[in-house]
Amino acid sequence: MKNALPALFLLVSCAAALAADPAHTVVQSGRAFRPAEVSINRGEALTFTNNDEFIHQIFVSGLFDSDERSPGENLTENFTQSGTFEVHCHIHPKMKLVVHVK
Amino acid sequence: MKTTLALLTMTAALFTLPAFAADTLFADMGGQPGIDRLVDASVDNYLADDRIKATFDESNMDRVRAEFKVQFCQVAGGPCSYSGHNMAAAHKGLHLTNADFNAVVEDLQAAMTSCDISFATQNRFLARLAPYQHQVVTR
Amino acid sequence: MRVVLGASVLAVLLFSQAAFAEDVSPGMINFDEGRLLATGGVSAVEGEGGGGLAPWALITGYGTRDGVGVTLHHTYVGLPDYQLITPGIAVGLFDRLELSYAWQAFDTEATGAALGLGQGFTFHQNIFGAKLKLIGDAVYDQDSWVPQIAIGLQHKENDRGAVIAAVGGKGSVGTDYYVAATKLFLAQSLLANVTVRTTKANQFGILGFGGDKHNSYTAQIEASAAYLVSRKLAFGGEFRTKPNNLGVAKEEASFDLFAAYFLNKNLSLTAAYVDLGNIVLHDHQDGVYLSLQAGL
Repeated sequence: MKNALPALFLLVSCAAALAADPAHTVVQSGRAFRPAEVSINRGEALTFTNNDEFIHQIFVSGLFDSDERSPGENLTENFTQSGTFEVHCHIHPKMKLVVHVK
Repeated sequence: MKTTLALLTMTAALFTLPAFAADTLFADMGGQPGIDRLVDASVDNYLADDRIKATFDESNMDRVRAEFKVQFCQVAGGPCSYSGHNMAAAHKGLHLTNADFNAVVEDLQAAMTSCDISFATQNRFLARLAPYQHQVVTR
Repeated sequence: MRVVLGASVLAVLLFSQAAFAEDVSPGMINFDEGRLLATGGVSAVEGEGGGGLAPWALITGYGTRDGVGVTLHHTYVGLPDYQLITPGIAVGLFDRLELSYAWQAFDTEATGAALGLGQGFTFHQNIFGAKLKLIGDAVYDQDSWVPQIAIGLQHKENDRGAVIAAVGGKGSVGTDYYVAATKLFLAQSLLANVTVRTTKANQFGILGFGGDKHNSYTAQIEASAAYLVSRKLAFGGEFRTKPNNLGVAKEEASFDLFAAYFLNKNLSLTAAYVDLGNIVLHDHQDGVYLSLQAGL
């Protein structure tokens, strides 16, 4: 039992680190995506966090079209295909995120 | 005596108003076709108005026009159900002032006039829009 | 006196900027002309914003709560036996505070001679006004019964102390206090205002304050109603009761029927038929009221 505790702690912190991985988080603020360009591996997910004063949604033509999220909310989208995709917002057409999926 | 008479006349005048007349505003504005025409004319005015056009710089104007058409229909008493965002949430990030709100009103008045909506009818519609100031103006 | 007043107005303008404004930079005076046409009323006979006879709860000019507005006016009242000319200036600060100054010249024409004062004997008044909006917004609160309410005062100084005393008046300086409630029934294109004033003024202060018959403050009532014909034109009427402090002459309520035309946010013209009732020796003092207001 005593030996299992450090291993358990390691497992939990790894899981926590993975869940909050900044490389897979995109922030919406100032009616823009930050960063404006990301690279991820096929099958990975991007978490979109609305840190803005506006309601946002996200879509990629032909792939997905999300619900709206209010400031403070987030949503996660899996990228299951390789390629380069542009993520936009129906409400704010100037918002663009380029996603390179390897 | 003169004073009492004047006071009574003015009070009577206020209370004989058709306060409970049937609500014909939607029809008086030309139904949905009239509303659609009004929204397009007013949005054109907003985009040409140096005081407020920048407010729309990052907006999806097709979506904005469509939302106005549903919302105005509902406000005018038409058979529409506006399911868009609450007005406060939708405008919060824009930090609008009373001057901004009033500029929209003025542009809307001009559009209503160009759509041949009578001044009396314009005011009936504006009376329903005016309270949105409380939600839309945040600065 | 006028220089001191002008300087004070400017000082209040600058310092209240800091008190009332939020994100306007200090020292910046913003003539935003942001309010809707006609929502500042016109300039009333004592210099404040309102109708022609009564102060309204509206703040003069077109400054929104983020800015200021200034209006200048000139008013002429032509009666069968008298004439009143009154120019003035008013500032509206952040749609909250209004400060005004009007100078009145009341010409007694032939009556002056009849009274042994001389043909064209003229009374002059300096009227300093202040008005503070307390609650409500006449334009936006269409979903509420609550009117826009303001309190105000008018401090009046008359230069004919000796004549005032001779006709039984008790003072040549006096201050009126009032509460005004203005409601715009936009769906009916109708504006209504009720003002309650406490005053000792005889004929608006032209014959001084207090009298041999009665020498304390009395409550008076003023009401205005206006119908908006178009964005630029309003028709309406008002009445205003007055005290009866002097034994020498009865005083009656005043009435007017007006048309106010707002060319744009810089210029408006008001024309009215006015009935001021009895003034000293003469009954039926009714005639024309013309007022021009210019502003920024």
